[in-house]
Amino acid sequence: MFKVVVGHSNDPDSTEAVAEILEQCFESLAGETPQAGILFAAYDFDHSLILRQIKQQFPNLELVGGTSSAEISSRLGFQQDSLTLMLFCSDEIDITAGIGYQASQNPRAAVKQAIAQAKNKSSQEMSLCLSFVDGLHLNGSKIVEAIEQELNGKIPVFGGITADDMKFEQTHQFYHQEVHTDAVTMLIFSGKLLFAAGVGNGWHSLSKPKKVTKAEDNMLYEIDGKPALEFYQYYLNDSSPSLKYPLAVFEDNSDRFYLRVPNAHDAQMNSVQFFADIPQGATVQIMETNAQDILNSSETSIANALKNYPGTEPAAAIFFSCATRSSILGTKAAEEYQAISSHLNSACPSIGFYTFGEIAPLQKDGAICLHHETAISLILGTK
Amino acid sequence: MKPNSLDYEQQIKQLNKENRILTKKLQRSQERQIQLEETNQKKESLSKRVILDLEESRDVLEQRTIELSEALAKLKTTQEQLIESEKMAALGNLVAGVAHEINTPVGNSVTAASTLAEETTSFTTSVTAGQLKRSTLNNYLDLATEASEIILSNLQRAGELIQSFKQVAVDRTSLERRTFALKSYLAEILVTLEPQLKKTPHQVTVTGDDTIHISSYPGAFAQIVTNLIANSIAHAYPTNKPGSIQLDIQQQPQQIVIQYQDDGCGIESQYLNNIFEPFFTTNRDHGGSGLGMHIVYNLVTQKLKGTIKVTSQVNLGTIFTITLPFSDS
Repeated sequence: MFKVVVGHSNDPDSTEAVAEILEQCFESLAGETPQAGILFAAYDFDHSLILRQIKQQFPNLELVGGTSSAEISSRLGFQQDSLTLMLFCSDEIDITAGIGYQASQNPRAAVKQAIAQAKNKSSQEMSLCLSFVDGLHLNGSKIVEAIEQELNGKIPVFGGITADDMKFEQTHQFYHQEVHTDAVTMLIFSGKLLFAAGVGNGWHSLSKPKKVTKAEDNMLYEIDGKPALEFYQYYLNDSSPSLKYPLAVFEDNSDRFYLRVPNAHDAQMNSVQFFADIPQGATVQIMETNAQDILNSSETSIANALKNYPGTEPAAAIFFSCATRSSILGTKAAEEYQAISSHLNSACPSIGFYTFGEIAPLQKDGAICLHHETAISLILGTK
Repeated sequence: MKPNSLDYEQQIKQLNKENRILTKKLQRSQERQIQLEETNQKKESLSKRVILDLEESRDVLEQRTIELSEALAKLKTTQEQLIESEKMAALGNLVAGVAHEINTPVGNSVTAASTLAEETTSFTTSVTAGQLKRSTLNNYLDLATEASEIILSNLQRAGELIQSFKQVAVDRTSLERRTFALKSYLAEILVTLEPQLKKTPHQVTVTGDDTIHISSYPGAFAQIVTNLIANSIAHAYPTNKPGSIQLDIQQQPQQIVIQYQDDGCGIESQYLNNIFEPFFTTNRDHGGSGLGMHIVYNLVTQKLKGTIKVTSQVNLGTIFTITLPFSDS
């Protein structure tokens, strides 16, 4: 048995909102006790209050989650300022949670701690890991790198960098009834879980491909031996780099790329700063997109997940889409979930959040990677 | 039935929730408005900069336009001069070609005439001295006959060359303009060529639109068709295989297209570019003057204000496409 239910409230009042989602979940659970859950909440809520209420209702629930820029679910579709909860019941799959603190001090140790904590609660073999992490204390690529090193490709990891309302000030991670910053949370599925994922971004090249000749962490100084800012300004008619023009990064001569979003630049240093690391020696290209291509790529992600699903009846779908995608879509933001959900059986519960970075392997069975401005669809079940 | 207090409570609860949602949405929308206003202000100052830049660019552009116009005018003058010198060069080539061509028959005639003159002097001396022998008379008569034949045939060749030269110059006065049915006129030209065509195994046909009437110079058409057919007969069928030559005419909205096609040996691509040049021939040894296609070219482009293009495939044949304006008046 693998049962998944979803609650979603757009009531801005924390007490009312949590009451509403619990009521919805209770009704759908029909007497079953959930083993684990994922909570996505807008930044403005009283998160401690919400987590206490959930704990009170389900004392043994293995809960993780975090703050988000916007939330989506099969109940209310795309919402801002909302609260959404997905609960899992199963007698065959173990779903266990873990957390690591002060990730910016020692990302590897924090990751190790979170994995160990979750892993120790199950005797079955790990099959899938969901992770929600802070990306403002330490840039997300360092955390994702630590996860990759720690798990060493043993199990696939999906998830996202927790977000706020595009203010980039502070984000929270949830673990049981604790609210944290600078933390790494993990939800590990152990047992014979079936799942498949799809990744889509919808960006097209604007510039020629060039080599990164000087970069340090998330600072890009030189491309093909010339100042990085000049490279951008040449293609943007002297405008500044912005989230509408991310860089595609190709590592090790691969034709697969992930995106990096510029968030600042220094006219004196002629450098551009990104939300996450740019590896020196990689090939990069300035990218551009439009609303329709963003929507098409979201559909591609769910279509690929469904195509690769090894079973016939997925029990749930989880989405991670970049907060910048909803900001580019603007008033069309709700259409992204509509595009995705049109591919799913209406009875299939789904949940998702708008992130500050998406975690998924760059290709099937490959190393995990931090993406930006990308949509990730994950479907799972036992049948 | 009156709704009970529970229903009211439910409704109030729902309304309160909606009120909270709307308040939140309003708050978000106000935040967005502030952001938007800030963005607009930024854009406005950006726009001002952009306008300044644009004005500067416009001034630069205006200056560049003036410079370009001047350069263009200079270029036109140079081009006209070039065309003029090209014409002169072409004329020079023509004259040189004519001189070279006429030089041989005239030279032959001069040699023959000189020999005849010398022999006549010696013959006269013999007659005057009363020493004329029968054999001397016979020798002289043989030589005089041969010399006259050489002189006559060479002067005839020179005359023909001069005639061709006159055609090259496109003697406008000899050609009158009138309105005529194009297809039947082309058929008439073929009739006049019957004596030459009879000597060959080739078939010439005219196809296309019967109804086309054109106001133009029939004499030019006659010369064009005669030269094209003469060219095919002289060059296209070296093995004397029976050929099929086709003239097709089609009317298009603003123009008439005459397609002349033979199924001969074709023209090698290296020669295609030179084919309309005066005195260009691959057949000079067999009496080709290299003027026929040049005459065609001049008639089409100057007299008829049209264009002529040639395409050819070795062993498959050659196509001349003549495009004429419907009315050049």
